[in-house]
Amino acid sequence: MQRRVFLQSLLAAGAFGLIPAGRSLATTPPVAADTLSVDQLPPMEGDLTLYLGRGEGGLYENVLEAIRQRNPKLNLQIRRGVTAALANTIVAEAKAGVRRADVFWAVDSGAIGMVADAGLARPLPADLTGQLKAGFQYPQWAPVTGRIRTLPYNTGRLTPEQIPDSVMALADSELSIGWAPAYASFQSFVTAMRLLEGDRVTAEWLRAISKRAKSYAGELGVVMGVERGEVDLGFANHYYTLRLKSGKPDANVDLAFTKNDAGCLVNASGVLALSEGDLPITFIRYLLTREVQSYLASEAYEIPLVNGVKPPVGLPPLNRVSPPRVDLTQLADLRPTLNLMRNAGVL
Amino acid sequence: MKALFEVRKRRGLGPVVALIALLTAAQVSANGAIGEHVNNLQAHLGQYSEEVDWLVAKFDGVVDTYEKQGQKAANSNALPEYWEEVDFHAAIETNHVPTYASIWQGIFGVKQAIDSGAPAAKVREEQKKLNQALWQGLGAVKVAAQYQQKGLLAKIQTTEAEPTTAPETLEDIKHRLDRVVAKFAEQLPEAATTIVHDTYLHRFEGVEGALIEQDAALVEDLEKDFNVTLPLALKGESSVDDVRKVVEAMQAKLDKAKNLLVEAEKKRKKVF
Repeated sequence: MQRRVFLQSLLAAGAFGLIPAGRSLATTPPVAADTLSVDQLPPMEGDLTLYLGRGEGGLYENVLEAIRQRNPKLNLQIRRGVTAALANTIVAEAKAGVRRADVFWAVDSGAIGMVADAGLARPLPADLTGQLKAGFQYPQWAPVTGRIRTLPYNTGRLTPEQIPDSVMALADSELSIGWAPAYASFQSFVTAMRLLEGDRVTAEWLRAISKRAKSYAGELGVVMGVERGEVDLGFANHYYTLRLKSGKPDANVDLAFTKNDAGCLVNASGVLALSEGDLPITFIRYLLTREVQSYLASEAYEIPLVNGVKPPVGLPPLNRVSPPRVDLTQLADLRPTLNLMRNAGVL
Repeated sequence: MKALFEVRKRRGLGPVVALIALLTAAQVSANGAIGEHVNNLQAHLGQYSEEVDWLVAKFDGVVDTYEKQGQKAANSNALPEYWEEVDFHAAIETNHVPTYASIWQGIFGVKQAIDSGAPAAKVREEQKKLNQALWQGLGAVKVAAQYQQKGLLAKIQTTEAEPTTAPETLEDIKHRLDRVVAKFAEQLPEAATTIVHDTYLHRFEGVEGALIEQDAALVEDLEKDFNVTLPLALKGESSVDDVRKVVEAMQAKLDKAKNLLVEAEKKRKKVF
C-alpha cells in the first residue's frame, strides 16, 4: 500500500468548512522557549538599506512597516524589485566597489545563493541560525519562511490512494497534470530534481509528463484548473490551495505530498547581511521572531522555519512530511535547468 | 498668425518601446526620452497649444493633398512622424494614457483610410475624430498642469517605482492595461502582449493570493482575462475599441478587487 501524507485536517469532516471564508485561518500558536519574541530584541537605530525581492503582495510590507513603527529611530530605506534582478544588482555593485544594500531579503533561496557565492554575505551568529529548524541552518544566510511543493488534486476525480507518493512515478501514471513551467518555483523544483536524480532522468521525466500536461501561466492557475476538473492533479506550492480553500471552502481540491523527492521540496525565502555592524543582524533577528513568523504563517500561509511556531492551519508539521535533503543555495543556477527544459520541449 | 515653434526631432522607437514600457513606472513615457518638461507642464502649455495647432494643420495638409491629388501624393507615413516630433506627445502620454491611445487610434484611422483609398468624406470623418482626440488631450494636460501646480501629481520618474500595497498594485495594473490599449493603438500588438504577460507575472500574481481568499470567482475571471481574453483580442482582428472594451471590463473587476482587499486589510491582524 502506498504511504502518503495528507492534510488530515482537510479530510476530517467539516474542519475546513468551519473556517469563515475570507478570514485568516490561524489562531495564536503556542511557542517553544527558544523562539525569541520581539520584546526580547533591542531597538534599532540608524540607517539601514534593505533590498527587497517582490513577494506576497503587501504582507512583507506590513512586516516592514510594523518594524519601522516599533523602531522610530531606524531610518529604513527599501529598494524593491524582482528578486533575481536585485541579486544581480548587488553583485554588480560589489564589482564596481559600491555597497548600497545592508540586507537582502529575497523571495527565493536561489538568489540568496548567488549573492553568497560571490562572497558578499556576512557570517551569521550561531545563536541566530540556531533558532532555525534542523536542515534550515546555513552559516551565511537565514531562511525566513518556507513553501513546500505539493500535488493539489481534484477530489471529484481522484481518491488519495490513486496518487503515487513518488513524483518520478507520475511519469508512468495515466493522470492528467497541470503545471506552470515558466513559474520560478517550478523551475526550482526541476533544479532540485536534477540535483537528486540527474539530468538524463529529469529530462525523460519532463518529456513523459509533458505528454499529459496542460500549461497554466502561474501556479494559482494550476490549482484553479485542478479544482475545475480540467486536470487530475497539478504541481504547485502549498499556499495556493490553502488560499483557494479559504475563499471557497467547498472547493474540489485537496493536497497530496510525495516523499523524499523533489516533489515535496521545501524552498524558502531568505535574508542575508551584506554590511558590518549589529544593525543588519538585529534586523534579521526581527524577521525570525515568533510574532513575524506566526504573522507570515497565518496571513501568507507560509511555513515558519524557526522552532516552536506552528505551520499554517491545514498543513502538517514539517516533521510529518519527508522533504528531500537539498542545499537550497544550490538552486541558484537556473541556466542548466532552463536549457534542459528547452531541450525537452517544455519551455 | 502664431509664430511657428521649434520642433525637436524625436527618434521613432518601435521595438524599444516594449522594453522601456517594462522598465518605467506608471505615468512614465515609453516612447522616446522623457523631457523634463513633463514635470513642469504649466510652463509649457503655450508650447503644447502651438504644437497641437501645428499637428492639426499638418494633418489637414495631408488630407487636403489626398483630396486634391490622390493617395500617392498624400504620403500617409508622415502622419505618425509628425506626432513623434512634438513634446506634447510625452506630455499626454505621461498624464492621460487613455487619450494618448485615442490619438494614436485617430492617426491610424486617417492613415488607413488614405491607404485604403477611401472616399475623401470618410477620411475627413477620421480626421475629425483625430482632432477631437488632440483637443481632448490638450485639455487633459491643462488639467494635469493645475494638479501639478498644487503638488498633487507625482514627479515623473525614469526609474521603476514599485507599488508597495495591494491597492497601489491594482492601480498600477489598471494603468498598465491603459498602456496595452495605447500600444495596440500604435499598431504594436506584440509590445501590448508583452505588457499583458509581464503585468500578470510581476503584478497580478502578487495580489491574487490574498484576493482569492475574498472572491475566488473574481480571481478566476481575471486569470481568464489576463491569459486568454485579452491576449486573443490583441492577436486577432480586433479594433482598438474592441481591445479597449476588454480592458475597461478588466479595470472594473480590478476596482472591485481593490475594494475587497482594502476591506480585508482593515480586518487583518497586526504583526506585533
